[in-house]
Amino acid sequence: MVSKVDGLRVLRFAEILCLALIALSFYLLYLSRSGEVHTVWEVLNPSFVPTLFITTFLLVALLLTSEKPAYKLLLIVAYSVLVHSFFSVVFPAGDASGQQIFLGRTRLVYDNAVVHGWFPWPEDTLQLRVFQSFRGENFQAGLSTVFARMFSVDVFWVHLFLVPVLWGVFTPVATYLVAFALARNDRVAALSALLFCAFPYSIYFGAISVPNSLGFIFFFYCLYFTLKDLDSKDSKNTFIMLAFSFFSFLSTYLTGIMSFSLVLFALAFKSYRSEKSSTFSSKISLVVSFVFVASILPLSVAYLRFLRPDTHAVFSLDKFRRLPSEEIVGLFLVGELINGFDLKTALLFVAGSTLAVFYMMYLLFNMKKKPNDTFRAQVFFLFGSFLLMLVDYRILKLFMVGVPFNEERLWVLRDFLAVPFASLVIFLVISRIATFLKARSASPVSLMDVRTLTKGSGIRAVGLFAAVNVLVALILSVWVISSVGVAYPHVASLQVTWYELEAAKFIDENSQERYVVIGDIWMTYAGEMIVGANNPGAYYFGEFNRTGYDLFVSMRENPSPELMLLAMNYTDTNVAYFVVTESRLGTEAFNGTVYRALQNGLNVFGPSGGFGDGKLYVFYYEK
Amino acid sequence: MNDAFRLTRVEKLIVQDKRLSFTLVSYVLVLVIYANLNVVQSPILGVAASSVFFLIDVVFLGYAFFEREEAFFRVMLGIIALVLVLGFFGWLAVIIYDLDIFRFTLVLFATATFSSFSSKMGRIRKWFQK
Repeated sequence: MVSKVDGLRVLRFAEILCLALIALSFYLLYLSRSGEVHTVWEVLNPSFVPTLFITTFLLVALLLTSEKPAYKLLLIVAYSVLVHSFFSVVFPAGDASGQQIFLGRTRLVYDNAVVHGWFPWPEDTLQLRVFQSFRGENFQAGLSTVFARMFSVDVFWVHLFLVPVLWGVFTPVATYLVAFALARNDRVAALSALLFCAFPYSIYFGAISVPNSLGFIFFFYCLYFTLKDLDSKDSKNTFIMLAFSFFSFLSTYLTGIMSFSLVLFALAFKSYRSEKSSTFSSKISLVVSFVFVASILPLSVAYLRFLRPDTHAVFSLDKFRRLPSEEIVGLFLVGELINGFDLKTALLFVAGSTLAVFYMMYLLFNMKKKPNDTFRAQVFFLFGSFLLMLVDYRILKLFMVGVPFNEERLWVLRDFLAVPFASLVIFLVISRIATFLKARSASPVSLMDVRTLTKGSGIRAVGLFAAVNVLVALILSVWVISSVGVAYPHVASLQVTWYELEAAKFIDENSQERYVVIGDIWMTYAGEMIVGANNPGAYYFGEFNRTGYDLFVSMRENPSPELMLLAMNYTDTNVAYFVVTESRLGTEAFNGTVYRALQNGLNVFGPSGGFGDGKLYVFYYEK
Repeated sequence: MNDAFRLTRVEKLIVQDKRLSFTLVSYVLVLVIYANLNVVQSPILGVAASSVFFLIDVVFLGYAFFEREEAFFRVMLGIIALVLVLGFFGWLAVIIYDLDIFRFTLVLFATATFSSFSSKMGRIRKWFQK
């Protein structure tokens, strides 16, 4: 027999080992950091994935013990931050995507390059001004700038790690709380907190610092307090639920509208439950409420044009006319996954939510037999919310055109609603296996239970241990690691390189006058991260600016002082720089452009051999 | 008092906030952060001062809004509440005018005042409920 003290020692040892493995994984990730890279997989240390797998395996096994929830959650939080930090740690400036654009906006606030706000009164319309004020980039810029000033570090680093850390810390806690509110079982809840890392979309959004990701985090907490509010008359709950909904809206209107829809649905659901007997009319009114809340998102997208005139989302049957019927069916069933995803990837995207939807139906079916079930309301509400996501996704995907965001973002919300049910069904399977092996009925999956087993039941205990703690942990680890594998892209263009960042810094530090930089989109990203987007004193043509693109193409063909003068006049600056990079153009085109620039009398700016061992050249011309 | 509502010693000490001592400490820390930004510009000092500022205000907010949660979750929810409050005041500063060092300091003062006030309101409401 294993004593309780010994069991506890083993547990503590396993926890310390798990923490050490997480620390080692962080170190290996740091060793993989590269200045010139396409995808994280290209440069990951060969020991990283095996280490991460062992860590996941150990963590899953620990979650099935009777350890205190706080300890389990601390381990999950550390693991979650690790899993969401690939871009931030490996790439020189995070993923070349929206997060770099938003850093450009944030940099302006941090450097006080442009005074924002209402005064002096802006030239554009009032409604556009209101819309702009409530855009998530303002909230994120405020938050990142406040943190950067508090810690006295550059906003670049705060922005880069803002979402991976906030997501890594708060999403497992939110998932735990929601699952616990549903199941009242801390093992299911802890499993749920980890399993959210098995949903590829959630991993991706937790890895990029964009306002959308912040909106998702606040949505999750809004959902938790909405669930609490179903059984509570405390006005504080209602206030907190509304506050999280508001902040979700402040981060991004998609999650804000969805959380507001859930709040309304919860109020309708509460009102339905408060009626003493559920009559036909009360059921109809609940269905009408559902239809109403399901229409809020599509209608708000369609009428967004009143606040933002460049939005053109409309309801349309165009896709039904244009697309073949099998594609329509595919879009209806699995959405974007029909476009170029292989079967394994598609399965990983839908595995958790499919598991959840079947279990939800099973629960709902069983609840008919148990009308007084404690968590009936929570299950019904979560199922309704899940349905809401499915309906809204299909409306946006099939019945609307010109939607100003990727409809698949709703999958993160869908997955969050699915994860407690997926954990419940997995836990159910674990319990059934344990029962099948005729082990002790109480706490059948606890490692700690080994201490109570007698010699006679030793073989069964080993069987139980292998089946539950090893096999289940192995399967779940494979699932999580595979999801991490598909969440981070395997094909991508070259990320912003260290020498592009260095060139942008060098230009800014060595320019005495207002300047404009003509470069490709990656140089624009690099420049915006260093000096801010559309900074009038250090101007980079925005990533969507047609003039900037045309100027770069013309300069690439014929780098001349005239074109640089044109750029200076266009942007009211006194110096123009032209940046050309070998890795973007190819060696032949790069050499040709450099040769023509020198022939046309443009001067090389910075080190005579260029930046990055001659991979990048900066030319300049003054008025 | 129910076990579930029991505060840890540090929590208790901060929430009691005798003679507004922790609120004042919070204000002093804001000044330290302000001085650090203007003079020293040391991340070590910044992180240290911010951590204590976080601790005090997280406890205030955790007690004010999530009193009935278990200690661990109260702290976690307190942290996210503080993130929201900091973000909200930062956002206000951004959309009204700007978030330079002076206005950033005002944001911290507003956050500290809001957290302390919320905690006091929680205590007053509890006192009335007795």
